[in-house]
Amino acid sequence: MVKAVRGVLVECEPAIKSILVHIDSTHHHEFIIEDLDDTHLFVKEAMLQVLKSKLEERLRETYRPDEPLEDSE
Amino acid sequence: MSGGQQSYQLSEYLEKLPGTTFRKLYQQPSTAFAIFRRMLPPLAKVFVQALLYMPSPLLLSELDVWVRAEGKMQRDRALSILRSLHIIQITPPGKDKPQEMQLTTNFKNSLRLALEGGGSHNSFGVPSTLPVAPRIDIAHLDGYARKKWEDILHYVVNSVPAQNDGGGGVSGGGPKTSVKELLLIGRLVERRHDTQAGVGITQAGFTFLLQEANAQVWTLLLLWLEAADRAKGEAKGAANTDSIDMLSFLFMLASLELGRAYNTGALTETRRNMLPHLVDFGLIFIPREDTRQYFPTRLATTLTSSASSLRSVSSGFNAATANNPGDASSLGTTPETSAASKGSVIIETNYRLYAYTSSPLQIAVLGLFTQLNMRFAGMATGRLTRDSIRRAIGFGITADQIISYLASHAHDQMVRAAAATGRPVLPPTVVDQIRLWQLENERMRTSAGFLFKDFDSLEEYVSLSSYADEVGVLVWRSDKKRMFYASKIEQLRDYLKSRKKAE
Amino acid sequence: MPPKRKAAPGQGNATKAGRASAMSTPGPATPRSLDSSMMSDGDDDFDEDVTEAQREREALLSREADDFVNKFTFKGKRLQGQDDEPAGGGRRADAATRLFKKRDFSYLPLKPDHQNRPLWIDPDSCTVVLERFNPLAEQATDFLITIAEPKSRPTFLHEYALTPHSLYAAVSVGLRPRDIINTLERFLKTSLPDVVRRKIEDHTKSFGKVKLVLKHNKYFVESVDAEVLQTLLKDQVIGSLRVHGSGDITTSYAPTMGGLVIPGTQNAAGVHQANLRQAEKKPGEGGDASNEADLFTALNEEDDDDDKEAVHAFEISDADVETVQKRCLDIGFPILEEYDFRNDDVNPNLEIDLRPNTQIRPYQEKSLSKMFGNGRAKSGIIVLPCGAGKTLVGITAACTIKKGVIVLCTSSMSVVQWRQEFLKWSNINPDDVAIFTAESKQKFSGSTGIIVTTYSMVTNSRERSHDSKKMMDFLRGREWGLMLLDEVHVVPAEMFRRVISSIKSHSKLGLTATLLREDDKISHLNFLIGPKLYEANWMELSQQGHIAKVQCAEVWCPMPTEFYDEYLRANARMRRTLYAMNPRKFQACQYLINYHEARGDKIIVFSDELYSLKQYALKLKKVFIYGGTSQNERMQVLENFQHNPEVNTLFLSKIGDTSLDLPEATCLIQISSHFGSRRQEAQRLGRILRAKRRNDEGFNAFFYSLVSKDTQEMYYSSKRQAFLVDQGYAFKVITQLANIEKTPDLAFATPLESRELLQRTLVDNERGGEDDVETDDLFGKPGRGAGGRGGGRKAGNGVRRTAGMLSELAGGQDMAYIEQNKAANKALKGKGKKGAGGDGQSKFFKGLQREKEKSRARG
Repeated sequence: MVKAVRGVLVECEPAIKSILVHIDSTHHHEFIIEDLDDTHLFVKEAMLQVLKSKLEERLRETYRPDEPLEDSE
Repeated sequence: MSGGQQSYQLSEYLEKLPGTTFRKLYQQPSTAFAIFRRMLPPLAKVFVQALLYMPSPLLLSELDVWVRAEGKMQRDRALSILRSLHIIQITPPGKDKPQEMQLTTNFKNSLRLALEGGGSHNSFGVPSTLPVAPRIDIAHLDGYARKKWEDILHYVVNSVPAQNDGGGGVSGGGPKTSVKELLLIGRLVERRHDTQAGVGITQAGFTFLLQEANAQVWTLLLLWLEAADRAKGEAKGAANTDSIDMLSFLFMLASLELGRAYNTGALTETRRNMLPHLVDFGLIFIPREDTRQYFPTRLATTLTSSASSLRSVSSGFNAATANNPGDASSLGTTPETSAASKGSVIIETNYRLYAYTSSPLQIAVLGLFTQLNMRFAGMATGRLTRDSIRRAIGFGITADQIISYLASHAHDQMVRAAAATGRPVLPPTVVDQIRLWQLENERMRTSAGFLFKDFDSLEEYVSLSSYADEVGVLVWRSDKKRMFYASKIEQLRDYLKSRKKAE
Repeated sequence: MPPKRKAAPGQGNATKAGRASAMSTPGPATPRSLDSSMMSDGDDDFDEDVTEAQREREALLSREADDFVNKFTFKGKRLQGQDDEPAGGGRRADAATRLFKKRDFSYLPLKPDHQNRPLWIDPDSCTVVLERFNPLAEQATDFLITIAEPKSRPTFLHEYALTPHSLYAAVSVGLRPRDIINTLERFLKTSLPDVVRRKIEDHTKSFGKVKLVLKHNKYFVESVDAEVLQTLLKDQVIGSLRVHGSGDITTSYAPTMGGLVIPGTQNAAGVHQANLRQAEKKPGEGGDASNEADLFTALNEEDDDDDKEAVHAFEISDADVETVQKRCLDIGFPILEEYDFRNDDVNPNLEIDLRPNTQIRPYQEKSLSKMFGNGRAKSGIIVLPCGAGKTLVGITAACTIKKGVIVLCTSSMSVVQWRQEFLKWSNINPDDVAIFTAESKQKFSGSTGIIVTTYSMVTNSRERSHDSKKMMDFLRGREWGLMLLDEVHVVPAEMFRRVISSIKSHSKLGLTATLLREDDKISHLNFLIGPKLYEANWMELSQQGHIAKVQCAEVWCPMPTEFYDEYLRANARMRRTLYAMNPRKFQACQYLINYHEARGDKIIVFSDELYSLKQYALKLKKVFIYGGTSQNERMQVLENFQHNPEVNTLFLSKIGDTSLDLPEATCLIQISSHFGSRRQEAQRLGRILRAKRRNDEGFNAFFYSLVSKDTQEMYYSSKRQAFLVDQGYAFKVITQLANIEKTPDLAFATPLESRELLQRTLVDNERGGEDDVETDDLFGKPGRGAGGRGGGRKAGNGVRRTAGMLSELAGGQDMAYIEQNKAANKALKGKGKKGAGGDGQSKFFKGLQREKEKSRARG
């Protein structure tokens, strides 16, 4: 019997998808409903904002934080 | 930013108006003249000039003689603009008769009047014969207009939530409540509680700030006209007579002479009602002691100048209000008159930014995408950082807007160094990086909808997904997984139902 | 602004001192192996068996250095002046003021002719902004480099910071407070804020007032300020140490540059009269400009005979020098050391001069003029980019002083290079330049001479051979006129401390390319060696053609999904391996090598990660050198890289970061690096700045950093670049290499190959909990502070472990790789042998070999 599930389609690069899947797997799978393909995920609508902020946190590790301008060294 | 932007906004507005409105607008020689001067590309002007004194309609085919074959694109564009502005009429194509074109009657008559002078239309304003207070000179008017306009811009700039705001901030002054309301209605700002002003800037507000001064004025005026239309609640689609008169008045103001007093008594009631608002915008000045006079400021008299050489916000404004009494119509044509018309911003390869400016306004605009550091008299320093750019992007400002702002404000030294080395003015690595920072924001796209799965048969999957595709709601599908994702569900539900029934 | 105080300085002292003493106690946590320099010296181990007295001396020096650092930071002192800034009412505030928080200084009024003046100063942080396109920019730059720390030197506007250390340096090269204040006042667009004026006065008051001068082999405490001297004499400790009977206080004239001529300068060549003005003087264009220039010149010397300044001095005995030094620091008058070598009759003169046609470059002269500004030798540090001729600066200093010289290098490779440079540039008798390394323990024949050695050689005594002991006694038993300290930025402070407290020298000159240390010990260097005397501007030298122009790029390499998934799950150690082994990165490397080899470039590929170093080199069939490569093999490889047209790409572990002189190299590719080390980035860039072809029309060297996208490498990469970016280098981000897929034999082109690579990488490194990163930064644990949080790598004998690992690589496929490896290097050996002794062999290696033979013969 065909089912229609409500949720959010996430379209992203493979690397971002990997991070999202990793976040999901370390958080009791509470974000992702269905792993669609390399660049698509289907996630719970209610959890989208949390997921986004967790992603931002992860990405932050890959960028140098802005230094204060008064840096002495 | 291209010089065409402000005409685009205005023409967009005009194009929405019906033919009857144009007929009324063109009753005013000043309007016909302003539109001719400001809204038409050069080729269209040539056509109008040729047709103006032509006794009979011109065969469309004869235009081919005037325009070379490779100019066909421009010709078509010119014709399309002339038609949309109801300046020419072209007979419909028929079998028996070749197509002809001619100027619309009102436009032709008014433009002739404007060019020849004469008539009693008072379309170019009625000068006041009363004595003028000696303090009111061009410098005074410029100072006045600058203050008014900068108040408005500051209001928009300062509605940016201050990141390190230690309190304080600007107090006192600011634009009139009516102007603030207009900015809200026009969605240049929106109500927010995390800012001092209680309002926050919108994407449109950013675009507004980065526009040329002339375009900014028009943006605000058109918002005003639209608001006036809505307030009247008149018949949908048709501009009411008041707003036609208002628009005509604006075109008239553009034709007045800077520094000269005009008679308020000679205005229609609609126009007299406009005066307080125009005072709030800084387009006209009315001396407290004698309200029978009004003075157009440079903001008004340059409304229809083709001011493509104006840069933006403060520099454009500085140029517009530069103290240059010798030549009232010199706007944008005398770059030497003001230091501000030279670029002032230096951006280094290590993302440090230095702006040779004292203008709080320009500094505030830079502060929209720069982490400001310190300030001396005539100089502000800061740095472009990932956070400062991303913050700007979060507000809706685009990387291209920032880059184009930096390019158009580049300091003379940068321009010279670039010319000497044959390299671009802005360091390419910085330009790339600003774009890359913007791309970071676009790495994940989301949309709410429905995932269809667990189909009973391949046939069911194929038929429903194909239908979804047909009605344009299919976003993603996987034949392997037999799943698809659709943005909407209603039509698909109906389709499934009807299928069930059919079975 | 409320006063900021440095957080609990006492605490910091305790830990630092603690660490220093732990150094002397053998134990598991003590870095023992300091070896794996380019040519590993057998007995390079850091000394554990030092005497109690020596240990105490070192601990003392460590504490003093900390004191010095803590005392002279603005943080502790800066605030007295703050309260009387113009009151809030006097300040102009407008709509933009709030955007700057407290840093809106637009209330400082501009001078009417501000457009002719190039500087602004921020009274709060003492940051100076310099307009480079101002007519007076050149003079202002010369001035600023003397009194302030360069922070940002791109194209149009530069920033400098006035710090206690920089003021200390300014004072030590002879600027007086009023010179600094007056000159600043002249260059500033606004008038000098009182706060800044007082800050300068406060700091210079205590700095540079007291000098320790060795004259006629007696130590004198000297000052131009008689009151200061009285204060010292009234001090309980110092007063009692004065040598009596020599008259109370002697007064003489302050030293001037006088007749001193630095060899190699235009003065020396007789073009100008014998004084050193030329370096400073460059008449500007504006009417005011030439006055400014004159003024600045006058700062260094006042040779107007009527206006000679009196100096006052009293004598102390040799034994009390340290006590007095320490006491002076305690009471706020840190002592500057100066060596009046022209009046030193006790130590014999060394027969040395630059060869007649040797001309030193303007910036080299400038830096030396700081050292010899008043005719005496001042101790300090000169900072020049790699390839800008640091060695010649050192040699010229030696030729100026003409006394015994001891040169300390980081590896025995550079020991040999230094000796050769001495022979090349100066007329020194070869017998007077001796080498002290594991292989060679020479002494000079005459009464004085030059000894070139390594830091390790003079800091260890464990298992020291009889020869070494004798040699050390020789070194310790003499007074050296000049101690040249090479690459001071990589040497641990503890090591300096040991060198300096055990070998007596009258003056010390530190040389380095970057004064960057991630471990915050730079200030210690200021205490142990002396202030920074000069720091060159990289961009300027490159524009003048002294060093190569370089195009820098960061290439972003996305990771294939399987790799990235694995990366996300991996521990920190494995993550580093994975982002180095990213097949897309591998392909980018292959592509760039192909591209640049086709252009005729010679390429060095750097990898900190040994595993990936080998995998890359083997797969691409290129030669490589790492810590475990034998000396013979290294020489073969290097020689081929230099002279064999078939060998154009060389893979290097980080042992190649410093001291490796390969002027053939024109392109550099980094595939893995040491976390966020700005120093390593600058050093590596330095490998191509010397490029032989740098003056060819339109020549550019290339520097690529390959980073795996969305990994921590991105973070480290931008951190690493910070220093170079502030020097004006621009890193272009490349997200796509055009037509990379068309590369012939592109590695790991199929998903299958990529997966195999992943599997192999995981298996090979699985038990690599023990990491195979070399600890071959020449010393035990240099600067891994900042970036190294994920690291957890132990210091140890990396070479030995690595060698072990190679043989331990178990799997069958890996054995095959080892075989290939051997084959690759063997292929070269054949060629190398053919060339041995023939024309193909470089001078360098010939020289090296000669040295060895000699030493063998002597030993």
